[in-house]
Amino acid sequence: MPNTSRRDFLSAGLMLPVAGAASNAGFLQPLESSGEKPSAGKPVKLDHRVLGKTGLKVTTLSMGCMITSDPSVITRAADLGINYFDTARGYQHGNNERMVGAALGTKRKQVVLSTKSDGDDKAKLLAHLDTSLSELKTDYIDIWYLHGKDNPDHIRDEMIEAQQIARQQGKIRFSGMSTHALPKMSSWTVDKKAFDVVLVTYNFSMDPKMDEALAAVAKTGAGIVAMKVMAGGFRNVGPSHPLYPRLHRDGAILSALKWVLNKPNVHTTIPSMTDMDQLDENMRVMAEPFAAADEKTLAAHLEQIRPLYCRMCGQCDGTCAQGLPVAAMLRILTYADGYGQFALARERFAELPAGHAAVRCGDCGECTVRCPNGVRVAERLGRAQELFA
Amino acid sequence: MILLLFWMTVAGAAHAGESLAVPPYLNCHSVMGWEQAGALRDYAPDNLYEYKDGAAEGYLIYSFARMRGIDCKSGGTTLAIDVSDMTDADSAYGMFSANRDPKEPIAKIGMGAQVMPLSLLFAKGRYFVEITQTDGNPGANQAGTLKAFAAKIEPLLEGRATLPEALQWFPPENQVSVKLVPESVLGLRILKRGYVAQYDRGQAFVVQEESPEAASETMKKLRARWEGAAPAQMADEAFTVKAPYLEGLCVFRKGRYIGGYANLPKASEAAAKAGILLARIP
Repeated sequence: MPNTSRRDFLSAGLMLPVAGAASNAGFLQPLESSGEKPSAGKPVKLDHRVLGKTGLKVTTLSMGCMITSDPSVITRAADLGINYFDTARGYQHGNNERMVGAALGTKRKQVVLSTKSDGDDKAKLLAHLDTSLSELKTDYIDIWYLHGKDNPDHIRDEMIEAQQIARQQGKIRFSGMSTHALPKMSSWTVDKKAFDVVLVTYNFSMDPKMDEALAAVAKTGAGIVAMKVMAGGFRNVGPSHPLYPRLHRDGAILSALKWVLNKPNVHTTIPSMTDMDQLDENMRVMAEPFAAADEKTLAAHLEQIRPLYCRMCGQCDGTCAQGLPVAAMLRILTYADGYGQFALARERFAELPAGHAAVRCGDCGECTVRCPNGVRVAERLGRAQELFA
Repeated sequence: MILLLFWMTVAGAAHAGESLAVPPYLNCHSVMGWEQAGALRDYAPDNLYEYKDGAAEGYLIYSFARMRGIDCKSGGTTLAIDVSDMTDADSAYGMFSANRDPKEPIAKIGMGAQVMPLSLLFAKGRYFVEITQTDGNPGANQAGTLKAFAAKIEPLLEGRATLPEALQWFPPENQVSVKLVPESVLGLRILKRGYVAQYDRGQAFVVQEESPEAASETMKKLRARWEGAAPAQMADEAFTVKAPYLEGLCVFRKGRYIGGYANLPKASEAAAKAGILLARIP
């Protein structure tokens, strides 16, 4: 994020209106009447938005089911009023679709259900769709995504044709695409106008270019579903990890979720929800607006990692006077510093060409690499050389 | 947060300037008529999503450390062979158990395998192996070729070929599947990690805590979770309850193990089944 303060970026988000805040639809009583002592102990507030041109009215908190530990969590989410559930053909070799189908059961027609296929031709896609319908125990999919398309070259016309055929056959209601690289995909998506819904990686740490891309796609009328809103790292660092206390303090997960829903072009989010407790915590996002405290929490996280961790933006490519692959070396260092995988880091360092492994950053008078994100490159590369060379 | 940044990265698996050695267990020539197509794949936790998209999370929760893989080609058919280091044998088996089709039988390769017409999965030691047809006739049956590759790979992977001990504790009658749930057993965060066996009716579970004291503390919190939890005379301590979303439930503690039975119409039935499970836990 060149020449722009992350704090400014977060503040800009804070100043935006809380989209959909006026659309609170209702209150449900969670488990009090059924014997369980609810962790929240309060009525559940629901917030809905219209998913672009699909006209589907979805809860702003929807559910990614990929790592849900037990079908009961999905059933309860539906009972609480969450009305959009997402899975994919490829998750756990089909077991995830089986679980979602079983968990939703008779509630299927009351919710919006999406799945995805990574098939790379028409025949594979349509075969995947038939399998998905069978595993999900349904005769239609509400939104069917082409899965993980990060480059326009990866979407062939026959794949879009497959979605059109599926729609004509009544097997899907709306077509979609999921991507981790919207800035690269947005122009093509806007020109092609092939998708009713775009599922996109989006979170508080991303470049403002992402907002521009999102706005352009939303302007076509496409529904926007945000994923990786809690950015993976928050939840994938387990309790035994040394970083866990730092990453899980101050309600950071909820703050990250609120940040995304504060953006006007986002219609809903599909955070992965593992258990009942996480479901309860995430439900709060529909009742609590993004506030100054959330901004502070997220800014602190960004400041904390800014000098240390490479965003792999590629802007340093070719700028090292010694020809070092800077981003690759920073990544190797993070295997050790970030994951505690010292052996892996040393192994990867040893795989560098001999000329690179022999360079010592301390021998240069001044580092020629200027990181636009504030990573202290010379210091970090020096540490890698000290640890692994 | 660190992972957060990686989720956003766009760097490929084989980085500029790095030359990657192919490990001996990835050898297309080990089966006659097959050639390697393309370069070695090499993924770590930070960039696995570039290959697996959202499914990457399903690896990460099972302690994924590294995946290396190659494509093997013969005529118009391509097989992707991917070997994932899951840190320890329990996690590798857990990954296998989460990905196998419970309707299909388990074959004896390593700790366990599943052989389908177009894919073969197995776990051995800390490794989880996937061999999948990615290109070719979708109606083909490649089971023979898949097994031939697995037979070459399996001896080259170090580690345990026996099942996790806990699997033997679950009564086999009417059992549909057993899997390692890496976090939040029964959807409850307090039950951190354990095995769950699915039966025709209901499910049994066993969670191992650090110590009997820690297990006792967890039991106290579990009891407090549900109004109407009634003490049961079983093991070191136990209770039964009709719980929302878990129906008839019985939970017991035996030393540092917490086990039980859930999703039966009556709590008394869950208690009877839990007693059978309890007797099998050493």
